[in-house]
Amino acid sequence: MKSRTFWNRSGLILVAFFVFVAIFADLIAPHSPWERFEPYTKPSTKHWLGTNDIGNDILSELIHGSRASLIVGVGASAIATLLGLFIGLISGYFKGFADELLMGVTDIFLMIPRIPLLIILAAFLKSSFWIIMLALGLLWWTSTARVVRSRTLQVREMDFVTSSKCLGFKNRHIILSDILPNIFPVALPKFMLTVATAMISEASLSFLGLGDPSMKSWGLMINFAFIKGGLINEMWWWYLPPGICIVLFVFSIVLLGFSFEEEKKVAIK
Amino acid sequence: MAISKKKILRYLLALFIIFSLNFIIPRIMPGDPLTNLLGEEFSLSEAALQELRSELGLDSPLMLQYIKYWKNIFLFDLGYSYHFNQKVIPLITGRMKWTLVLLLPSIIFGAILGTILGALSGWKKNALPNKTITWTFLTIYSSPPYFLGIILLYIFSFKWGLFPFKGFYETGTLSDIIQHLFLPVLIMSAFSASRNYMIMRGSVLIEKEKLYVVYARAKGLYKEAILFRHIFKNAILPVLTLVALDFGFLFSGALFVEIVFSMNGMGTLIYEALLSRDYPVLQGCFLIITLMVIGANLFSDVLNGIIDPRVRERQ
Repeated sequence: MKSRTFWNRSGLILVAFFVFVAIFADLIAPHSPWERFEPYTKPSTKHWLGTNDIGNDILSELIHGSRASLIVGVGASAIATLLGLFIGLISGYFKGFADELLMGVTDIFLMIPRIPLLIILAAFLKSSFWIIMLALGLLWWTSTARVVRSRTLQVREMDFVTSSKCLGFKNRHIILSDILPNIFPVALPKFMLTVATAMISEASLSFLGLGDPSMKSWGLMINFAFIKGGLINEMWWWYLPPGICIVLFVFSIVLLGFSFEEEKKVAIK
Repeated sequence: MAISKKKILRYLLALFIIFSLNFIIPRIMPGDPLTNLLGEEFSLSEAALQELRSELGLDSPLMLQYIKYWKNIFLFDLGYSYHFNQKVIPLITGRMKWTLVLLLPSIIFGAILGTILGALSGWKKNALPNKTITWTFLTIYSSPPYFLGIILLYIFSFKWGLFPFKGFYETGTLSDIIQHLFLPVLIMSAFSASRNYMIMRGSVLIEKEKLYVVYARAKGLYKEAILFRHIFKNAILPVLTLVALDFGFLFSGALFVEIVFSMNGMGTLIYEALLSRDYPVLQGCFLIITLMVIGANLFSDVLNGIIDPRVRERQ
């Protein structure tokens, strides 16, 4: 009991911290991420994390990077969760043919190697930030749909749903006001975990140089540090901070997601 | 046969749709379909281009192109890479074996490590070592694999000089290959284990509340015997399914680890193909990876049928 609230709280504090930084990046960052100083400087009082190959202040890049990563993660996950909710609800509520069809589609999507497909799409589409977000969202809904479906299958057999049906409410009404509220406890952790996966995927694509150069994300920073000699020249202050930020941010979201999931299990028991 | 016809049909359908998607993508993307099909790095005269265009059937109706596309696939022909000056299929299969050398041991180590530690941790949730392990695996779970790669490469190879920091050589001796593979396999195993660990832990947490566990305890079995002889069998089923579904995910992870360690596998192939926008290679890799993912799923279905008597009897 105690450990659960601890997990929950530390996850929440970390997420809140990152969201705060992302929103107020302009005020917090000491410089603009595009402003140029002397390149390849070591950390100093002037530039806490030094400067990169073209002289941008790394700390400012880092602070602004939270914004890109956050938008990609939350945006993609919002698309994925909405899609997953829609497909899961329809499939679980109507069963029969609709279920067969939608779950068949889900199974197929589940088998697409997503990162390789994203690599191809991003290679063709000359990497736009928003397209990456959209593509992530359109590919990552499958597990949400499955979870929502199985929960819907349970909820639809409950007494209050039956009574709604007897009272003659329309299907749409039952799905939206009776079933949907009962889906949230399973959809929320899925949403969180999808944010985490989307952020890692974006960081991975950016690492391959497929990120949007006009939107500096943490993955893009690591990519530049890797290809512009940051690793070989032992400039750890260049590639380590963005990596740690990714891990920490994803970690806090996963923590929150898992603690929700565990709460749910306890509640069901 | 331990697998139903319906399942096989579904896999075939998935294969068909993903391969068709692969046909559509270069044709609907912005830019000249010829470039999209050949890659951006070739220099040919205008006449030769025209000839290629008709040879590839780009001036014929889409339906004919589509039929030809499938014909080529059945002839194991995925086109030609102008960047590497080689046919795509031998190019990929030559690199693929090195990726599998990295991936397969990692999947096996990851499965063993993840399930055993996960089972122990689910059994005694609040023990201090288990908590530490959970936090460690959560951290690994949250990291992009290439970042772990960069850190270990920095510490072990740059700082301590324990391991080589580049590639591995096809002519090398066994010990040489192992030395080159150690860090990448370590990372991928940890990565794979972290995912199995989470599922196994959750699975045991649920299973240990069930009545057969109470019964086994009432019979007077030791706790560890209950865990490994009774709970383990039931709890491992979700992990088996996950290992198959995760295959594609881990494969992608391996691609990135390869890039960090400059290994001679599919990851670096994709990376090089990306830099020169060599689309045939990218698409070929996508198709081959798809085939392997579907194969892994098929394998896990068959395995599930063999291991789980409930599934076996249903069919």
